[in-house]
Amino acid sequence: MPFEIIKPGTKIDFLGKWKIAAAVSIVVLLIGAIGIPLRGFRMGVDFKGGTEMQVRFTGEGAVDEGAIRKVLGDVGAQNASVVRVGESNEFLLKFEGERSLEGAAEPAPEAGAAPQAEAQPTGGEITAKTDRIIQLEAALAERVGALEVSRVEFVGPKVGAELRNDGLKAIGIACLLILIYIAFRFTPRYAPGAVVALVHDVLVTSAVWIVFGLEFDLRVLAALLAVLGYSLNDTIIVYDRIRENLALHTKSDLVDVLNRSVNETLSRTLLTSFTTLIAVLALLAFGGEVVRPFALAMVIGIVVGTYSSIYIASPTLLLLERWRTGAAARDAGKARAAKA
Amino acid sequence: MSLRARIIAVAVAVLWLGWFVVGSFYDDAARKATWWLPDGGLRLGLDLQGGVHIVIGPDLVVATEHELSAIQDGIERGLERDKVTGVRFTRTGQELRVQPASPPDAAAVRKVIEDDSRFTVREDGADLVLHLTPEWAGEVRERAMLQALEVLRRRIDDPQTGIPESVITRQGRDRILIEIPGVDRVPDIFRKTGFLEFKIVQDAAPSEELLRAKHKDGLPPGSEIAVEKDRATDRVITAYLVPIDADINGDFLTDAQVQFDNRVNEWQVTFTWSADGGQIFGELTEKNIGQPLAIILDDQVYSAPVIRDRISRQGQISGRFSSEEARDLAVVLRAGALPIPVQIEEERTIGPALGQDSIQRGIYASLVGFVLVVAFTIGYYRMSGGYASLALLVNLVMLVGLMALFEGTLTMPGIAGLVLTVGMAVDANVIIFERIREELRAGRTPRAAIAAGFQKALWTILDANITTLITALVLFEYGTGPIKGFAVTLSVGILTSVFAALVVTRILYDLHPGNKPVTELSI
Repeated sequence: MPFEIIKPGTKIDFLGKWKIAAAVSIVVLLIGAIGIPLRGFRMGVDFKGGTEMQVRFTGEGAVDEGAIRKVLGDVGAQNASVVRVGESNEFLLKFEGERSLEGAAEPAPEAGAAPQAEAQPTGGEITAKTDRIIQLEAALAERVGALEVSRVEFVGPKVGAELRNDGLKAIGIACLLILIYIAFRFTPRYAPGAVVALVHDVLVTSAVWIVFGLEFDLRVLAALLAVLGYSLNDTIIVYDRIRENLALHTKSDLVDVLNRSVNETLSRTLLTSFTTLIAVLALLAFGGEVVRPFALAMVIGIVVGTYSSIYIASPTLLLLERWRTGAAARDAGKARAAKA
Repeated sequence: MSLRARIIAVAVAVLWLGWFVVGSFYDDAARKATWWLPDGGLRLGLDLQGGVHIVIGPDLVVATEHELSAIQDGIERGLERDKVTGVRFTRTGQELRVQPASPPDAAAVRKVIEDDSRFTVREDGADLVLHLTPEWAGEVRERAMLQALEVLRRRIDDPQTGIPESVITRQGRDRILIEIPGVDRVPDIFRKTGFLEFKIVQDAAPSEELLRAKHKDGLPPGSEIAVEKDRATDRVITAYLVPIDADINGDFLTDAQVQFDNRVNEWQVTFTWSADGGQIFGELTEKNIGQPLAIILDDQVYSAPVIRDRISRQGQISGRFSSEEARDLAVVLRAGALPIPVQIEEERTIGPALGQDSIQRGIYASLVGFVLVVAFTIGYYRMSGGYASLALLVNLVMLVGLMALFEGTLTMPGIAGLVLTVGMAVDANVIIFERIREELRAGRTPRAAIAAGFQKALWTILDANITTLITALVLFEYGTGPIKGFAVTLSVGILTSVFAALVVTRILYDLHPGNKPVTELSI
């Protein structure tokens, strides 16, 4: 006897529960929407611009967070936050504000052109201000204790805005390309259901992210895109079966065919997600700080994606079909009425 | 293809790519020194080996402003030649306004400002308003970009900086990407514009306020204040009144070297003028013996020694430098000044310790993920699960081997992509196995069930993987730095896992009970 999680011949009425499923998803999305003003739509340095610095104090004795805050304030760091990482004297510092570069604002006349008093570009103000990050490091070393900088991420406002736009564009383009592919590989009728499921996955994962007050950054964007591509796998398995069953059982009711298809593919939908889930959970547990946001977003995305391919993709297909045939019937009715 | 041909093809591919996987455990030098290892191999991204990744944006607006100022110089020379006086120039942003003193002069001015492909002239009453043409402005910006790249490259390549492994590349139209492995902070040589000026000091005071107090009626025309700061505390030591126009600037330097002065126990930078520079500098120092000469780098006074004698070819800059500061200054002076100011727009620095930590965690997470997936697959599908696990191993060898073959860069997100691939690769096998089980339940013989399972699962697998590939490629197009690494491993991983599931697992089934027909299937 093979080991089976779903016994053959299982008949669960998934389609009948579409209203409950839709309600669940809408509630999660609403909570996410309420979460935006409540918890804020938090963006990491990648998208917002700013500085993130991970420092480790190498000296003996506990380091006071207040002292670090004071230094941050003195070098003019705006909206600074200090978070202790783990048990050690390691801290994550985040702050906003420009980073001025030595000599950045000054004119350097072009070779060969004698500088003109009147034509001199403005900005002759003396900018001996050094780099804020280096100033901060020096000040921390002097006033808090010897330290090692293990990580610096600085994103200027211009680059931040670009990364943000590129990120949104990437998600949009990925959705569009997938829509085209599905429309091309299946009939265009199937495409909207798949894309509704996709958009659902991205939105619900984001909603969970917002509710937990987590930050969006490039890693989370990468995870969301991977979820986009991956959650579709399950949907495709179901749709493939629906197409096959529609050809086999032409007489059956559409609801029956859809239910049968979801049930028949249920074990592989769950199994494929499960194997991927355990790999990603290993990453979440052992991959360390750097990949944690990515792994967590993947875990949520995989779970949501599996749910949506069962409860969202097929019901959407059903509703669209009903709406179409309903509209066709109404048209036919109108035509008859007009004739009579 | 016959079974034998398939086995040979896969074995050759796996052995060849496996060779590159083995090579990737050695560093570049060891690979080149060992005869049986491939020369190429996997590179570690800066986030794994530690290093600095910076994106520099030159301020290209300044380049066009400089161009307008050069155009103004040309016009002024023309006016001088034609003896037209009293013309006023005002420059606001990207616009140069020329105001003749009186209307009759307008025609004379117009004559000097001939039409030019570089700018357009618009008449506004008696005034003439000049704008760079979009084509020429583009040209000017491009030239400034190329000059900036050239100067930065010279600074990096300088043997004294000791960062020869650095890579400098242009990113898009107006950015420069610099990757410096093995350091944990942005080297000073990228912070300096490197514009060196020498100016005779007209007056001095301990602070700017005191200096301004001495000149109550305003600073003499054509002069400005430059300050010298204590390098440790950033406090102003002396404020100098100097001419706005430099008496001579760093364009005339041919060389700069670091030197330790035993008499004062200080690091200094000595420089050498070109023949022309030497002549100008000689005349300047001869005329001003007894006066202090301010040495100004990027608008900051480094020192203002009193001129004791005529100096023509060589000179020195002192400023209480550390040996590193002196070395960096010499490098910057040798490479020349950047044509325009630059700004760091993005920095990602990872210390070597954190990089090493990431590698270990990445390897550990990959191993745990692999073991868990294999354990589950074998537990659920028994012998078939074993086939899938073997295919997964082949898949990983091919994935890492291909990356090494093309000298790809492995980043931490790349490792995450690897772990994700481990999880996703088995999916294709699950789809095949579930299909085979269905076919078996439908009453087919094992052999027929296997054939039908592979055949019917084929397009489902392709569809599912193509969509993931689409998103991976979109991510590659829009991602930056390490994230691109994720897109790469994911894309390659999708290709190798489809290959492993469809070809390798199939071979194992075909091999399974020798050449006898399959009567029972462990699935």
